[in-house]
Amino acid sequence: MKRGLWAMGAATLVLVTGVALLSSNAPDGLEWAAQRLGFAGRAGSTLPASPLADYQTRYFNSRWAAQASAGLAGALLVYALATLFGRSLKRKK
Amino acid sequence: MHIPDGFLSTPVWAALDVAAVPALGYFARRAQAGVEETRAPLLGVMGAFVFAAQMINFPVAPGASGHLMGGALLALTLGPHAATVVMTAILLVQALVFQDGGITALGANAINMAVAGVWLGYLPSRLARNWGGATSRLAVFLGGWLSLFGAALLAAVELSLSRAAPAGPLLAALLGFHALAGLAEGAITLAALEALGRLSPKFVFQGETR
Repeated sequence: MKRGLWAMGAATLVLVTGVALLSSNAPDGLEWAAQRLGFAGRAGSTLPASPLADYQTRYFNSRWAAQASAGLAGALLVYALATLFGRSLKRKK
Repeated sequence: MHIPDGFLSTPVWAALDVAAVPALGYFARRAQAGVEETRAPLLGVMGAFVFAAQMINFPVAPGASGHLMGGALLALTLGPHAATVVMTAILLVQALVFQDGGITALGANAINMAVAGVWLGYLPSRLARNWGGATSRLAVFLGGWLSLFGAALLAAVELSLSRAAPAGPLLAALLGFHALAGLAEGAITLAALEALGRLSPKFVFQGETR
């Protein structure tokens, strides 16, 4: 399983630091429907703006650095949370 | 598909927040009892991979894009209970850190994607488990399609109840779009699961131990 885990880790790295740059900026299905049906303006935020909002770290000038750093941070956070939960799973008998 | 704050009316998001807590708690306890700790690294790696895949929008229709949701992919690798928990972790990070999906709407998004999206992705494969071969591949594809379509159906109902727009056009727009995007969801889920199975059979969920 170890080889597979490393391969998936590498694939994740390629996605956030490479492929994500090709991501389409067009609205997603829900935003598109909201614009067509006239309720897009209802969207608001309950929190102050995050420095990583919209998957772009605010302090970078380069779009690549902003996006890759945000993506990397997010992937590591999800990894940490899911692994933390994984440690509470049952021990093998 | 991530509903932002403001789209849902207060009774709708509040009710879904209240409903999501015990539901997620139940699935977390079932995962803790049925999934072995040796699979913990897989939870982390698959969660990170699906988070990364969700960052990549591809064109679905003119002027509109979609991305992998990954509910079926998580369910078919981690099992549905653990997949529900991992998808919830992804939604939490997206809402809190990246402002993708609302805070008040977290319950709605979790019910749509972490509960319905995961379990509908699992359902066809569970039904086809003993049939094997081409049938099981079809079931994986169908699971991907169904997970996205089902999550979109729930979102459309929640938005209709919130009077964001009339129910008819809302259902038509969201279901039409996601019926199409679901084809990509199904194809990516199938391709990813086959590749994972070749890397290591342990990546493919084989049922929980009791």
